Amino acid sequence: MNDKESFTEKYRPEKSSEIVGQEKAVVEVKDFLKNFPKKKALMIYGPAGTGKTSLALAVARENNLEILELNSSDLRNRVKLEQTLKPASEQLSLFKKSKIILMDEVDGVTGSDIGGIPELVRVITISRYPIIMTCNDAWQSKLSPVRAKSKMVEMKALDKTTIARILQNVAGKEDIKKDSTFFAQIAAKSQGDVRAALNDLQSYVSGENILVDITEKRDVEDTIFNILRRIFKERGNFLDLFDTTTMSLDEILLWIEENIPREYKNEALTKAYHALGSADVFRGRIYRNQSWRFLIYQNIFQSAGVSYSKKTSLQGFTKYERPKRILKIWMHNQKTEKKKTIARKYATLVHCSFKRALRDFELLKPIIRQESVQKQLKLSDEELEFLKK
Amino acid sequence: MSQTEIWTEKFRPSKFEDVVGQQEIIKRVKSLVQSMNIPHLMLAGPAGTGKSTLALIIVKELFGERWRENYLELNASDERGIDVVRQKVKDFARTKAIENVPFKVIFLDEADALTREAQQALRRTMENYTNTCRFIMSCNYSSKIIDPIQSRCVVFRFKLLEKKDISIVIKKIADQEKLKMGENAFEALYESSEGDCRRVINLLQATASISPDITSEMIKMISAEAKPREIKVVLDYALAGDFLNARDKLLDVMLKESVAGTDIIKAIQKEIWNLQIEPEIKVRLTEKTGEAEFRMIEGSDEFVQLQALLASFVLAGQGKATA
Repeated sequence: MNDKESFTEKYRPEKSSEIVGQEKAVVEVKDFLKNFPKKKALMIYGPAGTGKTSLALAVARENNLEILELNSSDLRNRVKLEQTLKPASEQLSLFKKSKIILMDEVDGVTGSDIGGIPELVRVITISRYPIIMTCNDAWQSKLSPVRAKSKMVEMKALDKTTIARILQNVAGKEDIKKDSTFFAQIAAKSQGDVRAALNDLQSYVSGENILVDITEKRDVEDTIFNILRRIFKERGNFLDLFDTTTMSLDEILLWIEENIPREYKNEALTKAYHALGSADVFRGRIYRNQSWRFLIYQNIFQSAGVSYSKKTSLQGFTKYERPKRILKIWMHNQKTEKKKTIARKYATLVHCSFKRALRDFELLKPIIRQESVQKQLKLSDEELEFLKK
Repeated sequence: MSQTEIWTEKFRPSKFEDVVGQQEIIKRVKSLVQSMNIPHLMLAGPAGTGKSTLALIIVKELFGERWRENYLELNASDERGIDVVRQKVKDFARTKAIENVPFKVIFLDEADALTREAQQALRRTMENYTNTCRFIMSCNYSSKIIDPIQSRCVVFRFKLLEKKDISIVIKKIADQEKLKMGENAFEALYESSEGDCRRVINLLQATASISPDITSEMIKMISAEAKPREIKVVLDYALAGDFLNARDKLLDVMLKESVAGTDIIKAIQKEIWNLQIEPEIKVRLTEKTGEAEFRMIEGSDEFVQLQALLASFVLAGQGKATA
């Protein structure tokens, strides 16, 4: 098994018949293709992780259609759209295969994509090929011109039992042995999102400590994985996201800090840290001045600020790590404890600050190692042992 | 006096006459002490120029053999909380001075490490105990001390020790410890001293612990070992786009050498100008560095701010100034 491959990709349904719990939607999408070009465009909408993209891909495959995939990042502006979308829709395919154009997450077409929506409408009008779009919220006003041109298909959030069944199925193929409460717990937390549930399953299984029983701490950590995934993978405001956990904002900040470089590169990395740095500034002000009003700023910077540091939402599975900094500091403190006690004794003797003694320690070492000095400092056996290293 | 083999103590002057450099200050302080009544004093100047030494001489002159009982030394950069300072001051000031003087002396070293709020509190403490205590404060920059405290003190400004002063100190130690050293070795010592007498003596003793034959090579080797040069490595990782390694290394440097974030920032700020990147980007990075340092002083988390700064170096490595 390829460890890097995410369960969500590995077990993406191949056929439309494998898409669980969305029978009505499956029929509607098939009808749309059958009746094309009665309606030229199809909008599949519904909550995250219900199988919108999977359905589009599966139906295309079954009809032997070539897929031209565009995501919202390609919808930067009119010029880009002209280049990528129009030629594809106007020219006849060089091969026998016909095409569909798949546009994921059209609600990601924001105000900064100047001309994005009108251009989309124009392309729908002139396209020779079916266009399938997906989005979470189809009823926002900016999408109304698109709605007018499209057949609308809804996919509903899946119920807990269905999700638990999917999980059990995957677990069987992955040789994961768990009792049914385990799957029920994950299913309940997913709130109808199959992708989140599968990601959860994978993070439990690939973590070194496999969940045995669900304790309070596990619950907290489970939610933090979800929070991280949403902030890092999606683009959103997330103003209430941190209400779903009992973990403090400061602790969440540590988790985000630890995992930013596991998810982002280059510009996104810099922007995300910039946002986190701003969150931290407000955290500092809260503590300095007891200005609890600033919590909202810390909240926004470390949620929306980090989330919007990338231009498009991300796919794939990322294994998040627990914050290691605190542990490292503690371990180091244990190791350098003796260095500190020696430096303190030395500082008192020579009228300098403890900090300076610590800073100059490498230089002072040969001096302190002299027997007469060791005696004068009244070093303990452990401290003498430390100096020998 | 108890004999010590730590040279910074062994060769610390214990009389006004033995102090090297700062002659104007010595003259004035000496006449103050002879009247057996000193005002609060503020000794401002760089590290290793004789501030603590002068404070010690003052109390020894005032109190003679029993100076320890009438003298309290606090280091503000270690005793962070003003409450600790106040408590210790109170406990110490409560009893009357022994010996023939009407007051005790509190030496508050590195007073510029106190926050403004702590300084405000200290000002009250100074007033409350002015009958029983005199404060001697030391600081690197008197501008970091609030005006109300400055105005209660007589301020003396210490200058960096000159080459001839340092040379006197070194010659004296070399003679007494029977060290062999040439002009080259002296130059090397002086160069890595930055005018800091404490550092010169420590460097000399560390070198002498290997051999009494002091050469410039040995001095350079030892002073290089004592200086963490690893910031360059951290920045190189970041510039190459390897953020995870840059971050690990940074935490390592901070923990292993117990370096404070503000010291790391200073090192980064110096290192920027040695990097192989466009000058415009250097300017932008310096701006970010300054902002990060300000934020730390303001109370932000050192490691978060340093990481944010490092992330800017990743872009700089690709020739971009900002995201």
